[in-house]
Amino acid sequence: MRSTRRSDALALLCALALPCALAACSDPRSGPRFAGAHGDDAAPQRGGTFVFHHESDVRGFDPHVAFDELSNMGIKLLFDGLLDYDHELHLVPRLATALPEVSADGRAFTFHLRHDVRFHHGRELVAEDIRWSLERMLSPATASPGVSYFAQLEGLDDYTAGRAPHVRGIEVLDRYTIRFSLREPDQTFLNAIAMPFAAPVPRERYGPDAVEIARHPVGTGPYILEDWEPGIRVTFRRNPRYWQPGKPYADRLIYELNLQRETAFMRFLAGDLDHVHRMTPADRLFLGQSAAWASYRELKPDADLWGLEMNTELPPFDNVHVRRAVGFVIDRERWSLARNRALAPLGQALPAGFAGHDPQLPEAQVRDLARAKEEMRLAGHPDGLPEPVTLWIGEGPTGKAYGELAQANLAEIGIRVELKPVSFPIYLRETGRPRTAQMVFGGWSQDFPDPATFFDPLFHSRAATPTDSTNRSFFKNSTLDALLNRARSERDAARRTAMYREANALVTREAPWAFAFSNIRLEAWQPYVHGYRIHLVWSNCFRDVWLDLPRRRLAQRFAPRPGVPAALLPFGGAR
Amino acid sequence: MIELVLKRAAWALVVLFLVVTGVFLLANAVGDPAAANLGPRASAEQLRVYRHAHGLDRPLHERYVRYLGALAQGDLGRSLRDDQPVTAVIRQRLPRTALLGSLALFFELCIGLGFGIFAAVRRNSWVDTSVMSAAFVGVCLPSFVTGPFFLREVAFRLGWFPVGGYGRDALDHLYHAVLPALTLAILGAATYARMMRSEMIEMLRADFVRTARAKGASPVAVVLRHAARNALLPIVTMLGLSLPLVVTGAIITEKIYDWPGIGRLAIESIDALDVPMILGIVLLASATVQLGNFLADLAVAALDPRIRAGASR
Repeated sequence: MRSTRRSDALALLCALALPCALAACSDPRSGPRFAGAHGDDAAPQRGGTFVFHHESDVRGFDPHVAFDELSNMGIKLLFDGLLDYDHELHLVPRLATALPEVSADGRAFTFHLRHDVRFHHGRELVAEDIRWSLERMLSPATASPGVSYFAQLEGLDDYTAGRAPHVRGIEVLDRYTIRFSLREPDQTFLNAIAMPFAAPVPRERYGPDAVEIARHPVGTGPYILEDWEPGIRVTFRRNPRYWQPGKPYADRLIYELNLQRETAFMRFLAGDLDHVHRMTPADRLFLGQSAAWASYRELKPDADLWGLEMNTELPPFDNVHVRRAVGFVIDRERWSLARNRALAPLGQALPAGFAGHDPQLPEAQVRDLARAKEEMRLAGHPDGLPEPVTLWIGEGPTGKAYGELAQANLAEIGIRVELKPVSFPIYLRETGRPRTAQMVFGGWSQDFPDPATFFDPLFHSRAATPTDSTNRSFFKNSTLDALLNRARSERDAARRTAMYREANALVTREAPWAFAFSNIRLEAWQPYVHGYRIHLVWSNCFRDVWLDLPRRRLAQRFAPRPGVPAALLPFGGAR
Repeated sequence: MIELVLKRAAWALVVLFLVVTGVFLLANAVGDPAAANLGPRASAEQLRVYRHAHGLDRPLHERYVRYLGALAQGDLGRSLRDDQPVTAVIRQRLPRTALLGSLALFFELCIGLGFGIFAAVRRNSWVDTSVMSAAFVGVCLPSFVTGPFFLREVAFRLGWFPVGGYGRDALDHLYHAVLPALTLAILGAATYARMMRSEMIEMLRADFVRTARAKGASPVAVVLRHAARNALLPIVTMLGLSLPLVVTGAIITEKIYDWPGIGRLAIESIDALDVPMILGIVLLASATVQLGNFLADLAVAALDPRIRAGASR
């Protein structure tokens, strides 16, 4: 009996010893493998393979159809447009020789094309390609989500209705010159031209087979699609005919798909991935505070808007005082703290950095419990609402976390919140229907750096549609509509900014949303990676990345040998 | 025997039909695949064209009849996500899951049977207690606990194996498969070890083993040739039931290790409401379960003369 007890104890000790022994080994959360890299002012080197990742899958590489962040990451490597944005978000020419000549009435834009641009298969790019590509995108057969951005093009209605073979507002003047004419001035038109929807493609490679097109893209971009294993990885190789001499720098870019955040972060620290951009709150906290990674990470407030969208057609949110009360009771600082400071609190309809955003906005929604209670009293509910309200959230821990924060805040003014977590497809379908979802936790990211990118889809009455509405608060205000229409065509920058400031004040005062925050983007890269900065329009745009190959080899040499405790290795076994 | 085969095949068809019908109705009731695939910014026109192109604008009963008609001809349809034929995608992913499942099965048998025999031979010693304690812990450990633990500690911290992924060539695939296969194997190995131990204890007490010893057979021959061989009968049944593991048993493990097999395909398809792909995977899974059960029955009948005799009567 005694020996059995002793053997039991021994077995238990053995079982406990393994995790303890493992715990005694190196701390996985260490710094980069080898940090002694060049500064960004060093001359770029060519060669090497850069590996990056995403947690979901690519839908396809047809620039005229794809409209998700992930596909656009690849599209920006494969295609160039007439215009692009620099890192300060100024429009710059790409396939055009310069910014367009604008007519005196502001309705016509003339572009001159570069003469040295070739498609991946070798043919020269000419103005006719720009017209054919844009008409392909605008054709109802393509069913592109980008058509609405070009709605001001002259003759578009005739073309889409089949009454005209071409769009009247797109004229090829000569082999390298093209002119776009609008029905009325639209200050967002050049932003639309900079979107991938306007990217030129070669007519001879873009037949009617949509699947073939999405999987075998041909563009003028710095990289060519080499291989695509659906759900696993996409490999891009350097375009040898690229028009910018010496560019791109890396021989290959590999895009690992469907990686879990936890695994991706470990692979980044282990040196398998060269860049990391989405991580768990714990990993984010570590990376954001790690001194070792300070030179190889960037934190930047995103150009997005998140909050509680209140359906203005349904009680109790048909009452502006209830909506304002919700806006005043949200504790944005507490939300930010709860999310490890991954959010920038925001109490108005435009994120920071957009024309019309006003840090001193008098109408701004700020945490003020007394004012929130006063608004509830004005709404006729001094003791709170008798019935609970339903808050629709996306399935998963993130939606739940925000839902619970909202629950806690709204309880302070007597509003009981019931959470309704639903899958993404149901969330999209139901919250886009009128008189269906009472309150929704949701957000919107910019399509281009102009305030219209938020106001028109979220608050203009024409965006409140019977199905798939993007105006999910179903907010309709004729004063705002008129103001937004005027602002869109206003050519004077100062007056236009003033109009959007007025629109911002109106929307914030009317509170169809309780505005809450913009995300703060955190990205990191290996010390031997250069030429990358966060771009607020193009997520993860790696076209200019170059690798310091000798230092990468050193970093790999400093990887610890398997099983050797890290403390015995140089640099503490930094992996 | 032929009667047994025919009866089981008929039942398998009925089960598959019920499974397909149930999953078809459920998957179509959950949400709009067009919105799930095109995202929140798709235009109404784009959604309409998508629905029309994939036949989603037709009534449910019409879609169901069409699906069954195509299925009868061996056509599982096309994926709603990327328009690839479902059979082609499954054919691409299946070998990866099969590699993982086979390696897991190999580990299960090696570890489980080896330790089971060892524990039975050293019955009531500290070896036996340790093996059985470990087996008890093993059957209690789900893969969502062991997977992240192995990934973080063995792959990341110790650096013995890659941190997830699939690798680039055959040898690399095998190297990447070791840790997920071990994760998958823990439960099975623990079960096999417990089962093998108890069977072996029975066998080692049996008259024919005593006779073998009395006739001067070596201890190794007694254990392996006489006792272990007879103790394998229930293990063979278990092996048949483990067949689905090779094909679809690794959904959570594949997700944890980013292994691009059928399990991860199932999760991706559910996320995208890719109904034809979900149906294809469910069909494959239930067909494998049927086949596994059937093979287990056949194997037991072939190995055990009493069952064979019963079946023939």
